[in-house]
Amino acid sequence: MFILSSSFCYTPLSLSCSLMDSNNNNNNKFMEFPFVSSPHKSLMVDLVSTLENRFHSHLLPSTLPNDVRHYQSQTGSAQASLHIRAAHPHSPIDFVLGSWVHSELPTGGSFDITSLSAYLNTSTDAPNFVFEIIRSSPTNLILILDLPPRKDPVLWPNYLQTFYDDTHLDAHRQALHTLPEVQPYFSSSLFIRAVSSPTGILVRIQTENGGQERMEEILAKHLDPVSKQVLEIWLDKCASANREVGDEEREYLKKRDGVIRNKTIEVDLGSSFPRLFGPEVANRVLDVIKDYFTVS
Amino acid sequence: MFILSSSFCYRPLSVSCSLMDSNNNNNKFMEFPFVSSPHKSLMVDLVSTLENRFHSHLLPSTLPNHVRHYQSQTGSAQASLHIRAAHPHSPIDFVLGSWVHSELPTGGSFDITSLSAYLNTSTDAPNFVFEIIRSSPTTLILILDLPPRKDPVLWPNYLQTFYDDTQLDAHRQALHTLPEVQPYFSSSLFIRAVSSPTGILVRIQTENGGQERMEEIIAKHLDPVSKQVLEIWLDKCASANREVGDEEREYLKKRDGVIRNKTIEVDLGSSFPRLFGPEVANRVLDVIKDYFTVS
Repeated sequence: MFILSSSFCYTPLSLSCSLMDSNNNNNNKFMEFPFVSSPHKSLMVDLVSTLENRFHSHLLPSTLPNDVRHYQSQTGSAQASLHIRAAHPHSPIDFVLGSWVHSELPTGGSFDITSLSAYLNTSTDAPNFVFEIIRSSPTNLILILDLPPRKDPVLWPNYLQTFYDDTHLDAHRQALHTLPEVQPYFSSSLFIRAVSSPTGILVRIQTENGGQERMEEILAKHLDPVSKQVLEIWLDKCASANREVGDEEREYLKKRDGVIRNKTIEVDLGSSFPRLFGPEVANRVLDVIKDYFTVS
Repeated sequence: MFILSSSFCYRPLSVSCSLMDSNNNNNKFMEFPFVSSPHKSLMVDLVSTLENRFHSHLLPSTLPNHVRHYQSQTGSAQASLHIRAAHPHSPIDFVLGSWVHSELPTGGSFDITSLSAYLNTSTDAPNFVFEIIRSSPTTLILILDLPPRKDPVLWPNYLQTFYDDTQLDAHRQALHTLPEVQPYFSSSLFIRAVSSPTGILVRIQTENGGQERMEEIIAKHLDPVSKQVLEIWLDKCASANREVGDEEREYLKKRDGVIRNKTIEVDLGSSFPRLFGPEVANRVLDVIKDYFTVS
């Protein structure tokens, strides 16, 4: 079914726009996750659905132009899909961002990045949600699963207590580390390290011995449940938390959120996007992302 | 040689008081009587290097004797404390060294040796923290860090200046090439939060190579790395020319205060009474709290 590529969905707040959006090939493209393994795709679809269903009355449909929902390099050796949904002003959510990137490597292999993050606005000080899998080979995977703090946890120990101690987040990190194939991952970006929470799951998983089969098993039996448990904690204890934010605090959050978003674009996307997709495509996509990233 | 135990050293700024201070209880600190030779050697070198570099800044220790060295009622736990405040013109607030030795019911013992330097609010540069926790001949935890005094997320330039430009991470990475070295995650989330992005927090286990391998690691790896990181702190942090405005000073005062209070609470608050009994513990903690009051 062909629909005007710039169709916009006006429906009452309580109705999700997923039906109308699902006819649009390019939105399916995001949820298709066409290049990753079955357990990996299954996990992504579940995370996105759970998040969006929980806040279905808050989230507006995606208004991304088609050439930003799905784009590729000139040669086609790199493809990506972007999914951004802003939320209504009354929501604590600013926007939800999902994406996948697939790139063939000169060596013959390929790498895939799938990610989902949720950014809250300054009506709340609760942590954001960040999830990313970087699969660089059948037996090599990096997982970033974190609730990054939006206030300095050193200056505000109560914040640390409320969102990180009381939620028992560290139990999930520890559980994952019982697997012999799991090692801590230290990002080459010191900023990414600094932004991460004290209970953040940042791991590298290597299954040289068990091969690809073992990796898929780890995805299905360990990464899947842990990711969902952490998302549940975020939905219940962060996104739904009743937080009072005064004017001074709001200014602080605005400033700090702004730095995080700008540096994230710079570190995460700024160098790799032009390299993978060429400067023209990269700039087009980054401009759209920067629009959403402007702090409110 | 016997010297009045409460001898106080009034000397011109440029002369170190180490000779007069070498009364028994100060020697007790620098003796590090319970740890292995490479371990003691490393501690002595670090303390000496730090104190010599800033010898014109540091006042002699004024700790009462029963705080310089104390023990539990049964004597199963002993400790030594060494604190030197600095002159008001110095960027240093104070230097704190200590060791703790405790026998374990199982027959073994554990030892903690530490050295930290706290800067005052005339500068925003990072502090220096060094601690070795030796829980057995073949198990050791090392904490070697320059903890930031400002939120590195809110101030990326701070991160750039003190952690990127100094190439601190190279030292962390070098240590991690050893198979016996694993990252150490403190059970205290606050300790994790306070640590820098390049902090060296590692657990070293030498089950295969035994005690000999551990001593080799201390001498050949921990020793040079610790000294290199201390040098970076001395040159790039303690000696850094930093301008601190009034608003920033208030911020530092607040943040330093939280760090110091929580550090006492987490690091010492629960273990001290347990090891030394409430009376000794309170006496020592009261003295430490005095120095920890932010200036």
